[in-house]
Amino acid sequence: MGKIKRHGLSVRFVHWAVAISTIALIFSGFGQMPVYKRYMIDQLPGLAWTSDFSINLLIHYTAAGVLIFAVAYHIVYHIIRKEFDIWPRKGDFKESYLIIKAMLTKGEEPESDKYLAEQRLAYAYIGVMLIVIIISGIIKVLKNLPSISLEMDTLIWVSTVHNAATILLILGIVGHLAAFVFKANRPLLPGMFTGWVDEDYARRRHGVWYRKIQEDKKTNLQHK
Amino acid sequence: MSKITRRDFLKRSAASGLAAGVILSGLEKPARAYSGTVQYGTLIDLTRCDGCAHLDVPACVSACREENKSKFPHPVPSEQINNYWPQKKKEDWSDKKEIINRLTPYNWITVQKVSVEHDGRVVEVNIPRRCMHCDNPPCSNICPFGAQAKTPEGPVLINHELCFGGAKCRSVCPWGIPARQAGVGLYMKIAPQYLGGGVMYKCDLCYHRVTKGQQPACVESCPRGAIQFAAKDEIKQRAEERAKEINGFVYGDKENGGTSTFYVSQVPFEKIHQQLVRQKSNQPNPEAPGYPLMPVNVGNYLDTVNGLIAGMLAAPLAGAAVAGYTAYKKMKDGE
Ligand code: HEM
Ligand code: SF4
Ligand code: SF4
Repeated sequence: MGKIKRHGLSVRFVHWAVAISTIALIFSGFGQMPVYKRYMIDQLPGLAWTSDFSINLLIHYTAAGVLIFAVAYHIVYHIIRKEFDIWPRKGDFKESYLIIKAMLTKGEEPESDKYLAEQRLAYAYIGVMLIVIIISGIIKVLKNLPSISLEMDTLIWVSTVHNAATILLILGIVGHLAAFVFKANRPLLPGMFTGWVDEDYARRRHGVWYRKIQEDKKTNLQHK
Repeated sequence: MSKITRRDFLKRSAASGLAAGVILSGLEKPARAYSGTVQYGTLIDLTRCDGCAHLDVPACVSACREENKSKFPHPVPSEQINNYWPQKKKEDWSDKKEIINRLTPYNWITVQKVSVEHDGRVVEVNIPRRCMHCDNPPCSNICPFGAQAKTPEGPVLINHELCFGGAKCRSVCPWGIPARQAGVGLYMKIAPQYLGGGVMYKCDLCYHRVTKGQQPACVESCPRGAIQFAAKDEIKQRAEERAKEINGFVYGDKENGGTSTFYVSQVPFEKIHQQLVRQKSNQPNPEAPGYPLMPVNVGNYLDTVNGLIAGMLAAPLAGAAVAGYTAYKKMKDGE
């Protein structure tokens, strides 16, 4: 069976850097509250460190650095290359409804571009949450400096925005992972690890994208 | 891949840098807003305080309790307060309100007593203890809900409406100052069996008086003038002068990255600390909070992470630079 290149190293690096740092941020973020001690998670083997606020804060800062690096990389890289395949389009809500309906009823699915409509929406949702969390997080980092002090109302706002966006992000990630409960979406998994997906799958489900690639190949050959 | 020129590329990179700059510069405003207000400080002269030997309750302690009683907790009755599930304990002081020899939610200042040997003689030292109102308070900075803040005048306040009683502020305070009362506050409205621990209480330097131009109650009540209150710069200078005068020592100027409380003593604070440690270790529960020690030169909880700030702020620039380089190289390779 033929394979087709879906993601370069840059995309895979960004995805996994974002995924791993985000999970570390969520875990250490909960560790900013006394939950691991209170609920005795720190009594479990190997998890004694979880109730140490200093360790959690250090993990939180480090993971935030990785996340911000990856997000900046992602934005600059794709803007320079003018790659906007995953940017949401008009009609994406309706189209993702049709795709999900088709998955559930085993019916006919509208043909997709490189990304399914719901992937573009998931991207926008997770992206907005990450940006909100990053900006409020940077403010929280700056106010820890001896030279910067914020008023109580500002602190309440910033903390509440940071916490609420985190809850929404967690819901988004749960939804993202739940997508792979559906067999129809699973052929995308190897793409995120190796960069390659089944050609069959691409032709069948991402017809618009598949044809573009074939055309690109032709023009490239003509140029050479 | 589209063709872009080097100039285009530089323009686009500059635009992303600019956006970051705009976000950061917006933050200077709240920081600057503070400069108009006088920041206050207190000097606690340990050579003057005698612990009110003639009274059952030291004057500063009773004045504080009287002045702040309206801010003290009003929890539900003790028998209705849940343990901190799944743990089998709770911090309930509602039936121990009269305690004055330690910090509790109902006692925001306490006077410690130690005997210290110095220069061949034994000196009795009485030490009024309460929140130091630090310059960069870790307690308020790390509150996950923003339920604490340092005011422009200097006092560090806890928002009793918003506090969830996790007691993290107490863990990161070098003196473990904030005290917890269960059965009161926001958590009671959510799921008190499973979440939250109460509300934290501590000295607010009589903020309601300070903003009216009055002195904190403890300062006013002291018959020996052992606690002074004035602009912080002035107080700091007085503390240094007084220390020089008596050939003594200052505590609170460097500790925790600087505070607005300056203790002056004839005997070294290392020795006072030693005695406090000894007293504490002899207690039934040596871990119990509310008996602050006096570690000299104790650092700030945020020192380590603040050291990472440069890396933090460089991360977006580094990410952008590496992306630019990668994209540019790929473009040249015709990919
Ligand atoms: C930990 C397990 C995870 C796995 C196995 C996983 C896997 C995948 C896969 C296979 C794709 C599809 C890419 C394609 O279309 O070829 C994807 C996309 C994406 N992932 Fe993840 N991911 C994980 C965690 C995360 C986390 C924690 C985040 C966010 C913080 C995240 C954010 C995204 C985003 C924004 C997209 C693009 C939108 C989409 O395709 O839905 N992923 N991921
Ligand atoms: S003494 Fe403790 S509670 Fe008071 S401001 Fe400093 S860190 Fe916070
Ligand atoms: S500070 Fe003043 S009021 Fe307080 S115990 Fe000492 S002498 Fe008494």
